[in-house]
Amino acid sequence: MIDQATIKQNLFKRTLLSYRGPFYIELISVFGSNIKDFTKEYDNTRRKLFRIFIELSQNVSYYSEHFHMVNNVQRIGLGEMDLKEYETFFTFTTKNKVKNSDAKILSERCKLVNQSNQLELRHLKREQRMNSPGEKFGARIGLIQAVMLSKNPLKYKTEKIDDKFSMFSITVKVDKN
Amino acid sequence: MDNITLKSSPDTPYFPEVNFDADSGVCEISGESYMEETYKFYLPLINWIKDYIKNTNNKIELVIKLIYLNTSSTKCILDMLDVLKEYQDKGGDVKVIWYYDIQDPDMVDEVEDFEVESGIKIELRKFEP
Repeated sequence: MIDQATIKQNLFKRTLLSYRGPFYIELISVFGSNIKDFTKEYDNTRRKLFRIFIELSQNVSYYSEHFHMVNNVQRIGLGEMDLKEYETFFTFTTKNKVKNSDAKILSERCKLVNQSNQLELRHLKREQRMNSPGEKFGARIGLIQAVMLSKNPLKYKTEKIDDKFSMFSITVKVDKN
Repeated sequence: MDNITLKSSPDTPYFPEVNFDADSGVCEISGESYMEETYKFYLPLINWIKDYIKNTNNKIELVIKLIYLNTSSTKCILDMLDVLKEYQDKGGDVKVIWYYDIQDPDMVDEVEDFEVESGIKIELRKFEP
């Protein structure tokens, strides 16, 4: 049985941002400013949300299997995102097309991150960053960073499209400070 | 050696401001860092530091005033710290200073991680209000 206090805490207030399309840097930057503005009354939460937003948005931009090529050089991933406000927290969700084989790897990675405590995540982050080949591969620690910042587990979901592709969504909950 | 001076712009807040001074050896990076293809931005900075060390063998001071850096940028900063650590281990005079906002404990954790991963001492200083 859910009590009244829990219902109140989880009460949905509004959608602050909702977008579907290409995730190019200029747009990410503008949305980032909007997020800072929308959440300015929660100083620490605002900082965390902005950082999580950048990491997850850039994951869509770099890795979505639905993408545009700009001048045959630059790859811009397409996907979806939304930022929602509840009574005591915010949620930020991204969704993009992935290969079925990658959806499996991503689910395993989310599972591992969710099972780890803060200390384990910190070790994992250091280990992954040190062992990352760098350059275009980045640090490969975006999901770890999102959980370390939010201190909440990731919600993730795979929706199969066909034999090759799925839509993969990740939601991060950030409590209001 | 030429200095590197990159001014920040409100139109491109994802690029930090950079001031690398070949006369003083002070290398300052400030603002926010979350551009695309991060390594393309940082590689010339890392190469500048390598050249400075090779050509001058003088003191070098890295001053970081970043209020946000994405995880790809953290990898590049770590590569920069590795170059400085190697120089220090060979007897080079190296100082790393990181300015942080007192309201931002996540950044302090990040700096601690950089210290552990690079093995170099980082002096934390609070941003002046």
